[in-house]
Amino acid sequence: MMVLERWLIELLLNFVAREEINAFLRSPQHTATIIGCLIAVSGALLGTFLLLRGMALTSDAISHTVLLGIVVAFLLMTDVFGMAGDTSSPWLILGASLAGVGTVVLTELLYRSGLLRQDAALGLAFPLLFAIAVILVSRFAEDVHLDEDAVLVGEIGLAWANTNSHCFDNCVTVTINPDHPQAKMARQCRNCRELGISPRDEGAEFVEICSNCGSYSPAQAWQAGYLQEEPVLVFFPKSITVTLIMTALSLLFVLVFYKELKLTTFDSALAKALGFRPGVMNYALMILVSLVAVGAFDAVGSILVIAFFIIPPAAAYLLSDRLAIMLLLGPLIGAGGAFFGYDLARGKFFGIIEVGDIIAGVNSISGLDLLETWDSSISASMVLMIFSIFTLAWVFSPRYGLISTMIRRASQSRRFDDQVVLAHIHNHQFTDRHSTELRVETLHIHFRWTAPKMGRVLARLRALGFVAVVDGFAELTERGETQVHAFRSAMLEAHNMPDID
Amino acid sequence: MKLKSMSAEDKRVWLAIAGIVVLGICFLPIGQWLFGIRYTYTVRVVALGGSILGVISGALGCFAVLRRESLMGDALSHAALPGVAVAFLLAGRDLGVLLIGAGIASWIALRFISALLGTTRLKQDAAMGIVLASWFAGGIALLAYIQSIPDASQAGLDRFIFGQAAAIIESDVLLISGVGAAVLLTLALFWKEFKLVTFDMGFAGANGFQVGLINTLLSTLIVIAIVLGLQLAGVILMVGMLIAPGIAARQWTQKLNHMVILAAVFGAFAGGVGAVISAIDADIPTGPMIIVVAFSLVLASITLAPGRGLLWSSWRRRLDSRRFARQNALRDLYRYVLSHGSPGTPVPDAFIRGIGDRSAALGLAQLLSAGLVELTGDSWRLTDTGIEAARRDAHSLQLWDLYRLYADDLDLPLLGEDRHLDIRDVLPADAIGQLEAMTEQRPN
Repeated sequence: MMVLERWLIELLLNFVAREEINAFLRSPQHTATIIGCLIAVSGALLGTFLLLRGMALTSDAISHTVLLGIVVAFLLMTDVFGMAGDTSSPWLILGASLAGVGTVVLTELLYRSGLLRQDAALGLAFPLLFAIAVILVSRFAEDVHLDEDAVLVGEIGLAWANTNSHCFDNCVTVTINPDHPQAKMARQCRNCRELGISPRDEGAEFVEICSNCGSYSPAQAWQAGYLQEEPVLVFFPKSITVTLIMTALSLLFVLVFYKELKLTTFDSALAKALGFRPGVMNYALMILVSLVAVGAFDAVGSILVIAFFIIPPAAAYLLSDRLAIMLLLGPLIGAGGAFFGYDLARGKFFGIIEVGDIIAGVNSISGLDLLETWDSSISASMVLMIFSIFTLAWVFSPRYGLISTMIRRASQSRRFDDQVVLAHIHNHQFTDRHSTELRVETLHIHFRWTAPKMGRVLARLRALGFVAVVDGFAELTERGETQVHAFRSAMLEAHNMPDID
Repeated sequence: MKLKSMSAEDKRVWLAIAGIVVLGICFLPIGQWLFGIRYTYTVRVVALGGSILGVISGALGCFAVLRRESLMGDALSHAALPGVAVAFLLAGRDLGVLLIGAGIASWIALRFISALLGTTRLKQDAAMGIVLASWFAGGIALLAYIQSIPDASQAGLDRFIFGQAAAIIESDVLLISGVGAAVLLTLALFWKEFKLVTFDMGFAGANGFQVGLINTLLSTLIVIAIVLGLQLAGVILMVGMLIAPGIAARQWTQKLNHMVILAAVFGAFAGGVGAVISAIDADIPTGPMIIVVAFSLVLASITLAPGRGLLWSSWRRRLDSRRFARQNALRDLYRYVLSHGSPGTPVPDAFIRGIGDRSAALGLAQLLSAGLVELTGDSWRLTDTGIEAARRDAHSLQLWDLYRLYADDLDLPLLGEDRHLDIRDVLPADAIGQLEAMTEQRPN
């Protein structure tokens, strides 16, 4: 990971100065937005396939169980192997992802036992594994940063502070041993605790210990003041690296296996018949979903991450019928949500509306006295923004949106009204019932419509030039006649019937 | 009720109830001895509250399980969080108000999911995922905002996330009992309607029931059960509290009324015991503890339940495979001796074992101990009783063949064809007589 970061920084240094990189990444907003966008992109890419396969809630399963994997791996690392607890360690990510995939397998087994249904198996397995994880966290991992809050919402706002340092010049690593001139030595009572005596008592034995011995990386050494000359340092947030790798993997997976994914998603039987292995594709997808869920854990916690998997693809699904376009739109929507999400957490909705003003409005209406500065969770705000974009897509989508559906239905019902009236006139004109059926004042009775509605439809038909009113009777014009024949033959053709006219 | 007059079904249910009550009673001294629980006033209140909540969510959860809406419970419980926060902001920290807020938020989520399903082509899982994540994010964002308010005593809202039994006080228990009684009463009043829409919605609609209305009422009751349970189990884990008792109860019975009663008892156990264990130490969050207890009940039921459980079915499979092995060995021997002359012909051991290896050995051992065969040197010989048994079996197979051919013509009762059974045990005597008449018509 360090190598990758270094390579990336060297690439960046070709374009911008070192100080600019540091200043840019030291801003919580920049780092949080980058991480949010990366999670959104990888989540949306994979989530598209989950959504189309009807497995959206599998991401819920995985994200819940990944927590248990992380906690167990974390505790193993710190307590058993004595390593430093670090949630971005590759070992931890790997172990936790396996746990995620393992649970998908387990749920499947549970449900194949035939004793409970799939939804029940899922609904039972996640809470259980999540519950065990929470008990472990609160019992054993109290001192570490794995607390319940981090589990819920992550720490995307603090991601900028958790960095790896990369040194490019003046790189001196400092090792301080007891002989070093800057070693800080202190006397400590060796046997006070076991004998229960105070250091002033007789019999207390002392040892000299060194409080600052150890080796220091250039960045640490500079910070501690052991160096005369400032090393050339670039600080790179660890979470960006992790999420970047996840995004690259997801993108690579989707690009390389695009054809296989498409085929197994839409027609798994055909895929099997053609010699592909839908099962293998399925598990590969699950592994990647687990990896992304683990990688995102630090930033957005283990519950909110499912929003990044489900909502952007769902919005894209309402906007397009083409898989390739969905795969473009989903990441864009997710990234857009992540981008505006930071602003929302700081009180600006879509960069226009001030949340503080809304609260002020609520205060003035209700007489409450709520705090008017809105300062909230970044990851939750990102999810809310993604949801807002989804809602916009739902309302305004050109084909499937609420508004376009409403307009389409209205125009369909108008056309139906027109055709009914035209057909009525066509059937009755030049017959002997013509005088009862086609009198304009009583025409609405034959359709069981109200007189005003009849008036509207008739006015429209007259304006279109289909119908004329002669001596208080409705009759078809030549255009109207053609129109009737046109839709009649279209209808007969649609029902495979011969035209008798 | 006399034990003899009860069906096997009833016995199972009473067995489960008795088991759980004994477990509950045993837990009290064991808990005291093992964990050092002191049954102070607080712990008693907490246990009572937990049990009552368990009864309500267990009973209502059955319907969620049977309607395949377990995950809907998950979505609705996550969705309650913003309601709690908004209610707190608008009206303060009174429990009743917070719960009403939670209920409204869940209910809006429910309608939102229906709207998404009704107006878009999204499937149910996607719609639930969208609502679950967004509502939860809204709740988290509001809680973070509340936390940023200086000197607002927001302490206590966190308990809705993971549940906190220790926070339950006597007035809460009264509130829970009151609402819970109303919920259970409604359940009893609309029992027939709920049962009907749960099992056959189309039939209910065709018979003129207001399916939409009944569904909404049932969903609303489930929402109320979820909301009441929140302070015990928390929004994330409430789904486990809701469905685990129902799933466990389902293993013991096929009847809805039994299932609901049993689920209520299981729920009471999980809620009570879980709450007491977590009250030992402030570090143990209640919700997770209750889920672990409830899941243990599910695990026990899946393994132990008579008739359906894993132990039971593996035992039955074992018995079946023994029976099949014996029968197959007998048939193989008989087929061999018929094709090699008289029924007394010895059958080489290598031949018979070559056919069915392990299961042949199992079958032969049973035949030997029943005295149907004898082993001389390395060949097997059918004894007289053995020959008799083999003939009866062959005759039964012949009758099965005839049954397959003529069951329709003779208008015989409909059976699943199981050739490992003696047909004379499964068909009534007059039907056997008709089949026997057919054998005489077609000598073979």
